[in-house]
Amino acid sequence: MAVYKRTYKGYAGALTAAWSRFLILPRYSYARLFQSKFLIMFLMACFFYPLGCAGFIYLSHNLSFLKTFNIQAGRLLDIDARFFVAFCTVQGALAYLLTALVGPSLVSPDLANNALPLYFCRPFSRAEYVAGKMSVLLFLLSLITWIPGLILFVIQASLAGWEWTTANLWIAGSIFVGLAVWIMVLSLIALAMSAWVKWKIAAGALIMGVFFAGAGFGAAINAVMRTKSGTLIDLTQVIATVWSKLFRFDPTTGISVTDAWISLGVTCAICLWLLARRVRAFEVVK
Amino acid sequence: MSGPPPIAESLVVLENVSRFYGEVLGVNRVTLSIPPGITSLVGPNGSGKTTLMNLMTGLVRPTRGKVRVLGITPAEPEKLFRLLGYSTQFDSYPKGLTGYQFLYSFLRLFGMGHSECDQLAWKAIERVNMREAANRKVAAYSKGMRQRIKLAQAIAHDPRVLVLDEPLNGLDPLVRAETIALFREFAAQGRHVIVSSHILHEVDMISDQVILLSNGYVVAEGKIQSVRSEIREHPMQVLIRCNRPGALASKVFEQDHVVEAKVHADGGGVLIKTRDADRFYRMLNQIALNGIEIESVAPADDNVNSVYEYLIGGEESTK
Repeated sequence: MAVYKRTYKGYAGALTAAWSRFLILPRYSYARLFQSKFLIMFLMACFFYPLGCAGFIYLSHNLSFLKTFNIQAGRLLDIDARFFVAFCTVQGALAYLLTALVGPSLVSPDLANNALPLYFCRPFSRAEYVAGKMSVLLFLLSLITWIPGLILFVIQASLAGWEWTTANLWIAGSIFVGLAVWIMVLSLIALAMSAWVKWKIAAGALIMGVFFAGAGFGAAINAVMRTKSGTLIDLTQVIATVWSKLFRFDPTTGISVTDAWISLGVTCAICLWLLARRVRAFEVVK
Repeated sequence: MSGPPPIAESLVVLENVSRFYGEVLGVNRVTLSIPPGITSLVGPNGSGKTTLMNLMTGLVRPTRGKVRVLGITPAEPEKLFRLLGYSTQFDSYPKGLTGYQFLYSFLRLFGMGHSECDQLAWKAIERVNMREAANRKVAAYSKGMRQRIKLAQAIAHDPRVLVLDEPLNGLDPLVRAETIALFREFAAQGRHVIVSSHILHEVDMISDQVILLSNGYVVAEGKIQSVRSEIREHPMQVLIRCNRPGALASKVFEQDHVVEAKVHADGGGVLIKTRDADRFYRMLNQIALNGIEIESVAPADDNVNSVYEYLIGGEESTK
């Protein structure tokens, strides 16, 4: 055996915290995403409704405006739980469209380019990879959902006064929890679909399809079986049920809140299972 | 001053390792101790080279057996992956990044800070002579450039063990020579350079030791020459250049261990097949004293190609 001089000395410098390493992944994802003018325009369009809501809240508290147009205070739409549910519904739908635009470009290019072994032959786990990729969506979706939702709440609270704020503080919690659950479900579905379909356009179509197919099959099951259980696979109805409870309304979807939470849990579990099957360092060639 | 590391801490060790993908065999009952230096894994497609590399790098866990890289198991990824640099066989890079961004961002995954990553990325880019192309997108690189940037990402964090799957594929002769020189430099520093290849003359040229694989089994390992000498059933071939090849052929053929003596096509030497190399070389000294001028003696079949052919026979052949 050859005799080698052991002149090698490895890196001995400082290291960043292990928990923060997943944040490396979004670094270039955003740069790549924002190269698309369509995406930038869509993202800007997502702020129109929150801006309109902010204007409405301001005007509904502006007495001189109300006098000018001879509108009695209280005749405009109330700023209450229903107002914020409407906000969640509109922004939740936009979040769904944004997910279909952004989601496919997250995992599928890495799979198509065989890049996964590169990530996992470093001190970087599969969970950190998924967290890193998911953080891209979570940030963008938060930007158009619960963040403007809470800003609207703060605007309303500052104009309506302390009494309204204390009586409606739970609405802020509902906005955050309701939309956080929705964007979590959307992100997991997008990542799972992106991990299973290498072609971006097909992955985008599949993300849309999950919701349309769920709604279609759900309605078909309800019609054929004369039941309401089919609604459990219609995620838009499921999240509407959860939001109803959070915003203290009676659900009109025909399914119980517990069943809705179970349905969301099962959806997330299936997505995680799909990700675990696909996000790994090697492909089995049979 | 600290002494040398224990022997197990300077070896890549696989103990009775098997890996199955469902019912498909990856590798079976592999036991290896790989010392520092350049080690080549040789075998045809599907022989288990990539699976063996994935086992060494901790990307695949063995179904049975144990893997230790310099004393560290794959169960300690934080330690293991700092020691390891891996380059895959296939084009493997995230979409949309330039060569520099590719190296920089993947160095950040090791937990190094911005300035260290920037410095190490440029150092690795320089080592593979890619400075001019560093700010171009990897997707626009030629095959050879992609191979070099893959190599750069494997060496960028200064690993002790380099595992490279077909690293010389697609390189032009000049870059190939530079890359081999880089492997030798790494090996000379006491590091492991484990490469897979099916280009046998290249393996012969660069390797300190070879591991021959077939159908998921290790069929031979060690230095080319020692592997060759262990194959007793195949006579060893020696080419002797001399002034009287005919006379030499008739003399050596009298020996019982010589099974064939053939005058070389150019008439300037004899190709001899012997079952006992030691006796043959002793006899050659006698012949040299008896008036035949011997210009050179060279083994004709202690290269990987011959060894592989002997071991695998007609079952399969490398590409």
